[in-house]
Amino acid sequence: MAAEVCHHAIGALQSHSYLSNLNQHQNLRSNSLRLVTKDFSCSNGLSMGRSSHFGQRNCIVTRSSATHSQTSVVDPVLSPSRSNTSDTTKKSNEAALILIRHGESLWNEKNLFTGCVDVPLSSKGIDEAIEAGKRISSIPVDLIFTSALIRAQMTAMLAMTQHRRKKVPIVMHNESEQAKAWSQVFSEDTKKQSIPVIAAWQLNERMYGELQGLNKQETADRYGKEQVHEWRRSYDIPPPNGESLEMCAERAVAYFRDQIEPQLLTGKNVMIAAHGNSLRSIIMYLDKLTSQEVISLELSTGIPMLYIFKEGRFIRRGSPIGPTEAGVYAYTKRLALYKQKLDEMF
Amino acid sequence: MAATFFHQPAAGLYGLGIDVPSFGSSRIFGKLLSTRLFFNSSHHKLHLVLASISHDSSIESTLILIRHGESMWNEKNLFTGCCDVPLTSRGVEEAIVAGKRISYIPVDLIFTSGLIRAKMTAMLAMTQHHENKVPIIVHDESEQATLWSGVYSEKTTKQSIPVITTWQLNERMYGDLQGLNKKETAEKYGKEQVHEWRRSYDISPPNGESLEMCSRRAVAYFKDFIEPQLKSGKHVMVAAHANSLRSIIMYLDRLTSQEVTSLELSTGIPLLYIYKEGKFSSRGSPVGPTEAGVYAYTQNLAIYRQQLDEMSH
Repeated sequence: MAAEVCHHAIGALQSHSYLSNLNQHQNLRSNSLRLVTKDFSCSNGLSMGRSSHFGQRNCIVTRSSATHSQTSVVDPVLSPSRSNTSDTTKKSNEAALILIRHGESLWNEKNLFTGCVDVPLSSKGIDEAIEAGKRISSIPVDLIFTSALIRAQMTAMLAMTQHRRKKVPIVMHNESEQAKAWSQVFSEDTKKQSIPVIAAWQLNERMYGELQGLNKQETADRYGKEQVHEWRRSYDIPPPNGESLEMCAERAVAYFRDQIEPQLLTGKNVMIAAHGNSLRSIIMYLDKLTSQEVISLELSTGIPMLYIFKEGRFIRRGSPIGPTEAGVYAYTKRLALYKQKLDEMF
Repeated sequence: MAATFFHQPAAGLYGLGIDVPSFGSSRIFGKLLSTRLFFNSSHHKLHLVLASISHDSSIESTLILIRHGESMWNEKNLFTGCCDVPLTSRGVEEAIVAGKRISYIPVDLIFTSGLIRAKMTAMLAMTQHHENKVPIIVHDESEQATLWSGVYSEKTTKQSIPVITTWQLNERMYGDLQGLNKKETAEKYGKEQVHEWRRSYDISPPNGESLEMCSRRAVAYFKDFIEPQLKSGKHVMVAAHANSLRSIIMYLDRLTSQEVTSLELSTGIPLLYIYKEGKFSSRGSPVGPTEAGVYAYTQNLAIYRQQLDEMSH
């Protein structure tokens, strides 16, 4: 219950604080990288004037422990020789972050603007998800975040059928007291072999307003070619009753910073399955891109992107359009060890 | 909380075209319809009678029931209940095969449980459908969710199949057994006790549901929300779980509690029912060996299939 209250409070703070941070971001690029200090309240280095940051941290811990048996699960494959797992402010911990953009949906196939309309994957999209899963089958995953849309959720679930560690993703349900109570797990062993999956609308595709459901021809007829081009390619101009890329970025990045980054900080390996625009927004934050750069950023479908989070910094280990597997995944030593252990296990 | 899925179209916003007449009003509508036909004096009386019969006989709707395939906890032999675990590769295959079996049967509306394994089963199955309509999951969990999922093209809406997800179709909630394996459970509670929970009708595991409790909420949902759609001529698919589907079959086939506890449903083999004149006829046994055995098509279904074949040529 407390976790939900905190979550709402976080939501209220989100949209306001991100915009001001974004402006600072663009002006202070040279100062924007900071090492994480032991004082957790400065963890992401950029949030100024955010109240009760430690309070948020408590809420997040509460939330994740409600869904998972304790805050730091010792994965037998992953645990380092030094096991000071009770220390929650791990300094030189390294966590993997995987971003997967879902593949072809049934409206992509028909060339319709989709946005937040909840359409499923096509057969091709299903294959893409499974392929993506093969590519990440040896990378640790402790926690999964998806959007609220089925095409992203299916992508995550299909990808995880390929994972070699054989942990089981379990979708968390918090929409009501009953939903939470009914989805409880009563075995410690089973919980240890589980990967919580959290669905969040903040990771949804950019909402396309009155263009949702229209095809390109219809839209050009209705509004004119240049107008449509402007909506699709600009940073801050929304289609009628829709979101601009900027607005989408605002809520997606705020969610990332509030809910996902703290998990990475505790050493959890995270996978995010989402959409073209919500992922670009996050990459904009991870790679510190300008609005010009983000507009021209194209994300492949079915090719997961790997980032290593270490000492408060995100290091990209795989380009969006990676031609070979070696190009996509430059493993760290820790990841190479993890893969080796999996090889030995099976 | 009953799922509400009637979109009030805002200006310029097309709802997904679902009308949910309340259970009472659809009966009245049916009566008015037949009354109007009867008083059409331009027809010979016999022709009138035939006309009303043939009109009634054309209101025939299909009901497809699909039980999801193997989940990741099935594979590990853990009691799942309402824990939301996904399908294995095998479960994914089963869903696609199920989809091939129903690829020529009309679907206007889909109901699934709130659990991902049932939702995925429905979405995977529909990738195989020949009519090429697109399932769209209806979102009404908040004002924003409803607004954000609006569709603005009438043409697109007509090519859409609304998908309604609801907890009342969830698997039987297994209480304190959720996540335990059979061995752990037998050790903790004793073999006979476990057998009793699994096979009885009205005995529930600790803090869980009995089959009877599961039936009550599943059948109530069916009668309140699904049956009226069938009555109005809509073809419906329900993707759910062993216990919620058995409960519904108990209602459709008028089974006793004895009969329902011994009813086994195959995974991946959809069940077909025809709804006509207020009655449900089973057109495919739970364990159908051949396609002919599973689907005894009606004339309407055969015509529909023919039309689909013609469309794709």
